[in-house]
Amino acid sequence: MIASAHSADKKVFEISRLSNEVKELRSAFVDGRSKLMRLKMESTIVKKVKEKGLEISTNPPKKIKIKAQE
Amino acid sequence: MATTETNILNRLYFVAGCMFVFALAVVFKLCTIQFIDGDKYRAMAQKRSIKPFDIPANRGNVYSADGSLLATSIPKYNVGIDAVTSSEKNFKKYIKPLCDSLSVFTGKSSGSIEQKIKKARNTKDQYLLLLRNLSYSEFIRVRSFPLFELGSIRGGFVYDQTTKREHPMGGIAERSIGYERKDENGYYTRVGIDGAFGKDYLRGENGRRLKQRIGKGEWKPIRDANEIEPKNGLDIYTTIDVNIQDIAHHSLLGQLEKYEAEHGCVVVMDVKTGEIKAISNLGRNKNGKYYERLNYAVGESHEPGSTFKVMAMMAALEDKVIDTSTVVDTKNGRKMFYGRPINDSGAGHGKISAAKALEVSSNIGLATIIDDNYKSNPEKFLKRLRAWRLDKTLGVSIIGEGEPVIPKPGDKIWSRNALPSMAYGYNMQLTPLQTLAFYNAIANNGQLIKPRFLRAVKEFDREEEVFGKEVLVNKLCSDETLAKIKDILKNIVVRGTGERLYSETFSMAGKTGTARTDYANYEEWRKDRKYVSSFAGYFPVENPKYSCIVVIHKPSTEVGYYGADVSGPVFKRIAQKIYTDTPLIDEIQSVEYENSVVIQDFEKFNLVSNTYKTIMPDLIGMPAMDAIAFLENMEVDVKVKLNGSGVIKSQSISKNIKLKSNQTIVLEAS
Repeated sequence: MIASAHSADKKVFEISRLSNEVKELRSAFVDGRSKLMRLKMESTIVKKVKEKGLEISTNPPKKIKIKAQE
Repeated sequence: MATTETNILNRLYFVAGCMFVFALAVVFKLCTIQFIDGDKYRAMAQKRSIKPFDIPANRGNVYSADGSLLATSIPKYNVGIDAVTSSEKNFKKYIKPLCDSLSVFTGKSSGSIEQKIKKARNTKDQYLLLLRNLSYSEFIRVRSFPLFELGSIRGGFVYDQTTKREHPMGGIAERSIGYERKDENGYYTRVGIDGAFGKDYLRGENGRRLKQRIGKGEWKPIRDANEIEPKNGLDIYTTIDVNIQDIAHHSLLGQLEKYEAEHGCVVVMDVKTGEIKAISNLGRNKNGKYYERLNYAVGESHEPGSTFKVMAMMAALEDKVIDTSTVVDTKNGRKMFYGRPINDSGAGHGKISAAKALEVSSNIGLATIIDDNYKSNPEKFLKRLRAWRLDKTLGVSIIGEGEPVIPKPGDKIWSRNALPSMAYGYNMQLTPLQTLAFYNAIANNGQLIKPRFLRAVKEFDREEEVFGKEVLVNKLCSDETLAKIKDILKNIVVRGTGERLYSETFSMAGKTGTARTDYANYEEWRKDRKYVSSFAGYFPVENPKYSCIVVIHKPSTEVGYYGADVSGPVFKRIAQKIYTDTPLIDEIQSVEYENSVVIQDFEKFNLVSNTYKTIMPDLIGMPAMDAIAFLENMEVDVKVKLNGSGVIKSQSISKNIKLKSNQTIVLEAS
């Protein structure tokens, strides 16, 4: 009885530690995600590659689709 | 006094009596505690060691159409210092490096931080708040600072964690994504998508469970199951397209800055489904910077100005009171209507066709058309507008949609001038979203669809609810009228007021608008002219995909104020972006065909080059080009001299002879 009460207590501590860890990891994930989202936005990329002389194309890319011959 | 037996007995009785009364009192008190006040005390006892805990439900996330996060809840940290707990030795040793690190982190001077902490130590302050709202990575960094790394007892590192709603896209579409906040009275402030869908989907329900204190500040649940299970909020997938949103935001921001405008908005809508692909609302603050302040697109009703001419023209065409070729006299740019002048910009257009009047956006032209044909029966015109639902809100999910104003005879703002004024978008009000929905209907073959922000509601990957398009009016007008209006909208960009926006590479159609605003006091207005510049339309012209409206309020008249100059470029940028993002697909027939001769030659070449590395092979009958390529790729360096071209006829060195370096081989071909 006493032993199982203690082991339950121990588990509670463990759970609270783990849930804290979950929160921290979640926070780290969103942090990284925000950074990535800002980085991958077209406006950011346009600014970054401007120094290298790259610009947005005024023409869309052309895709050539080849139909195989029977 | 003699000590008699009775005397002793009497005393004994007295003492016994007192004790008996005392015992009775004790029993009485016991009973009171046990039975009368019992419940109160039992509850009190339980409260100290057993407590109900709320289990907060996780709020759902808001995603964009492609699954990017738009809003989510994450923990944030406030960091403080317990200035008392660390030992004198540690404090002295680490205080300086700690303050230096904090100084680098915050940008405040190291000295002032040190002073603050030292003061806190002197006044025995156990919690001095140093940093607020740190993200996790910042928190980890701060935790590793000198002194703090010793932990909470030896280093005095104190922190608390709160949950905050974050928008990973930052300021972009912030107002439309929105938030929900609950104040102390339980009243919710609900903004944007997050607010609109909070109650039904995102919020979830808090659970509850009883816990017993077990020390170390921890509580242990009493039962296995929770008294009330928490229900986590559902995730919602919006219709926002992050790429289009990004472009819309930045091109609007660029134009607002260029024209020093007060505020503006842009909305992009999918023609077929009514999905809002992008919505941006930017307003200027005191410092001249722009940020998402209010949801102007949804909430702000204003006089639409020239963009409404399309509706007026469409009503006249549909009622067949005019045709596109009907001639209207726009005079020389000024005409009196019931004692009030209406002006056109410039010197006037003279006698022009009705279609041309809309192309050049003639106020007089449209006012004349509507006034001439409807003055005897304004109700006929108003009935059209009502049938198109222009007098009603769209009923979009975001809270706070602006009410449109369409006056009718008998209203306070109705007069004989009301009708000609309405013809060019004055004396009435619409929100940008309502105007957009109408233009979208033109692009969508006359079907008016409700703009919507929500695609699906999900719990993990399971779809709880999926939202489809909602048709408000199935057909606004006849196909004939529609074709005429579409033609005019196309021509506006080709040769009308939107001429400057024309691009050879991609097509768009739309109507410019330049409306006066805040003109109640005309003299004041003359001194400081204020306009609303707008552009509404769709693209591409053939088979429209997106409709879009751009409205910019109060641009600086010194820089420019025409709809085509101020708002048009935002529209064009978005149209161009979508055009350049959609690859042109060319389908061609495969030119490859199997030729047995070629295959034979190829196999022969492979066989020869794999076997002969240093020995002369038999090249006769091989194409000359193959023979040379082969000899040059051998492991010995040989020189090849070729006479003629075609197929090898003879070789100077016969086959199976070992080759030496720098040897010359002469090949004859014909």
